[in-house]
Amino acid sequence: MKLDIIIAGVGGQGNLLASVALANYAMNKGLEVFGTETIGAAQRGGSVISHMRISDKKIYSPLVPQGSADILLGFEPVEAVRNIHFLSPKGKFIINNYPIPTVLCNMGMDQYPSEEEILNILRSRSPQGYVIDASEKAKEMGTLMMTNVIMLGALTGIEPFFDKQEMQIIIAELLPQKVLKNNLLAYEEGYKMITDSNAGLVTA
Amino acid sequence: MQKRKFIMGDDAMALGAIEAGVKVVTGYPGTPATEILEVIAKERPDLYVEWSSNEKVATEVAMGASLANMRTLAVMKHNGTNVATDMIMHFAFTGVKGGYVLVSADDPGANSSQNEEDTRILLHTYGHLPILDPASPEEAKEMMKNAFDLSEKTGSAYVLRPVMRVCHARAIIEEGESTAPDREPSFEPDRSRFVMSAVNEPKAGGKMRPMWRHELLNAKQEEYKEISEKSPFNWIEEGKGRTGFIGCGIGFAYIKEAFSHLDLNLPILKIGTLPLPPQKVRQFLKGLERVVVVEEIEPVVERMIKEICFEDGLKVEVLGREKFLPAEGELNTQIVLDAISKLGIKELPEEFKPFDKPKMPIRTRTQCVGCSHRSLLNAMKEVTRKYKGIVTGDIGCHDAGSFPPIELQSTIYCMGASIPMAAGLASTGLDRPVVAMIGDSTFFHMGLPGLVSASYNGANITVVIGENGTTAMTGFQPHAGSGVDVRENEVPKISIEAVAKAVGATVRTVNPYNIAETKKALEEAIKEKGVSVVVAKAPCFLRNSKSDQLFFTPRAVEVDVDRCNGCKICINDFGCPSLRYMDGKVSIDKATCVMCGMCADVCKRGAIV
Repeated sequence: MKLDIIIAGVGGQGNLLASVALANYAMNKGLEVFGTETIGAAQRGGSVISHMRISDKKIYSPLVPQGSADILLGFEPVEAVRNIHFLSPKGKFIINNYPIPTVLCNMGMDQYPSEEEILNILRSRSPQGYVIDASEKAKEMGTLMMTNVIMLGALTGIEPFFDKQEMQIIIAELLPQKVLKNNLLAYEEGYKMITDSNAGLVTA
Repeated sequence: MQKRKFIMGDDAMALGAIEAGVKVVTGYPGTPATEILEVIAKERPDLYVEWSSNEKVATEVAMGASLANMRTLAVMKHNGTNVATDMIMHFAFTGVKGGYVLVSADDPGANSSQNEEDTRILLHTYGHLPILDPASPEEAKEMMKNAFDLSEKTGSAYVLRPVMRVCHARAIIEEGESTAPDREPSFEPDRSRFVMSAVNEPKAGGKMRPMWRHELLNAKQEEYKEISEKSPFNWIEEGKGRTGFIGCGIGFAYIKEAFSHLDLNLPILKIGTLPLPPQKVRQFLKGLERVVVVEEIEPVVERMIKEICFEDGLKVEVLGREKFLPAEGELNTQIVLDAISKLGIKELPEEFKPFDKPKMPIRTRTQCVGCSHRSLLNAMKEVTRKYKGIVTGDIGCHDAGSFPPIELQSTIYCMGASIPMAAGLASTGLDRPVVAMIGDSTFFHMGLPGLVSASYNGANITVVIGENGTTAMTGFQPHAGSGVDVRENEVPKISIEAVAKAVGATVRTVNPYNIAETKKALEEAIKEKGVSVVVAKAPCFLRNSKSDQLFFTPRAVEVDVDRCNGCKICINDFGCPSLRYMDGKVSIDKATCVMCGMCADVCKRGAIV
């Protein structure tokens, strides 16, 4: 058994908590876990990529090799596409449809790609995935900071390795009490975004 | 602490040092090494831990502790090792008493650095110190413990050189047994060792003492090699074929990963020490036609292997980062896979074949929304534009002011370089004002000697010191001007204003959230002769955003769409990420705006109110 996951986002989106949740989940199952992230500029608007590797065998490299990720969690569309080479052609993706423009895009020196361009690139690499409004939902529920928990909820909707109830317990252990209730509701919403019949399924 | 934990390589090394009985820990923050010291300070309140003002100081404090026969650890990133080089080159000659481990963390690929460097060259090739180079967080912890024992066994400092993907990898780490010695601090002078001076040494028949110590250091190399031969961190994995792979530190991990994808079983030599184990290398080379050396960053081991082949007259082709593998940057599994394919050993499956990455807009780092540096940089931009000023920059969050859109600082080099470089520019008689921009932690690190020198030499410069009370870039470590120590205990706060005054500079203090006041002070400073210091004082917003210590009154601002003419001053000269520009108009992203209101002060048309 092996599961390689890439979480691609922008500083401040909560990649780290999400990857720790995945690691704790796998550790509880007695599996090997190894990963890494770029955190140097994590809170200053730079790109942040987390590599999370789970296996029942020894894992040597903390970095997921090109073409090996079973799941790409794109917390931000451009960051997802920037890291598409990690995704296995048999892998699945979940993209949070919440573009965060770059400084250069804001200045008009760069063009943020259209939703269609982004979808086309995603489709050309992998035939299956979802585009969901995680951040919009998080905002609606009170704070953008719950984007990561919604994405985790969505992940349990597409990947049978992650049991929804068990993952919920793991997340609850990581969050402060005062924000817990709302976050667990958000987690549930994330799950529904995938399992509802009108979810944002993308097929090639 | 739990027995099994999912933690960073840095945390694992911290645990290793604690288990080895470290008593004194020093360092200066720098990615990817920062957390090692922080974790020790947090886990063990009984140990002496300090953020030194710079890495040279850190290695010297640690040396003092070692002379008292205590186990000591000095922690830094590669740039810091450069700073500490003078001391390192001396304790390489004298040796140490209590176990002394120097962590020199490299950042291949410069993920979070101004340059990339392989400090194995500085510390081993140049400094002749023995090095342990871990392949994983787990091994880094074991090496830390081993390094303390070896340091005491050999009487030399040992270096642990973890790279980014060891420091910042996360893995399951288990608690281990304590290997701490049981002893009290003591001090015995040994002047023939610990007084490094150009004096004739009676113990060496009157030879110059430095030369005698150099001889002893050279003689030590054989002892280090013997230790390497027996080291648990070097081993041979037998395999089939005439091509072998040598994996040094993290390079080993990528070889193993690549082989597992291709079901390859070529011979592997795993290397975790410098000097190399010469006999083990010779045993490995026997019968091979070709070896590929996989190491970060420079071809250090590759050249050593070539030297052995030359000495033994072996006709083995040695490939590595000199000509065959990429000569710069971080390694990964793909690089090893490509090498295997290039050598014709095995065809790569489809998913590993070259892949054209789609071109996406690049994302540059910037100041946080609400950061006081942004309004300071804006004020500096306006004033220097007016007077055709030149700004030299320094290391810290404010360095992003040199990127688009602000593009204020014209230079960024190493810690503290802004002030002397400004003095140098001004010394030419250039008919333009010169301004240095530096943060407070960097000021205490290496800015101070530059300021002293500039003042002493009568430089005509303005020095802007962004005082946010912390080392923000690396995650809020306190410094000499913070008023707290590594464990947040209150300590005397060293006043930058008082220091600058003592040096002979004129000093103005401003609140950078008040742009008008800041601009006024900058204009006055620029027009003045001599060294003029402007201290822009406001606590780091990211650190203090949840407290009531804000230096601005929150203002909910809106864009008046009819007044906004899309001039983009707020975007180009201020560049807050909460400002969006679309179809000729600016808008404010309410979800990320923290209501500092600075954009309203920046707008010339009163369109943000």
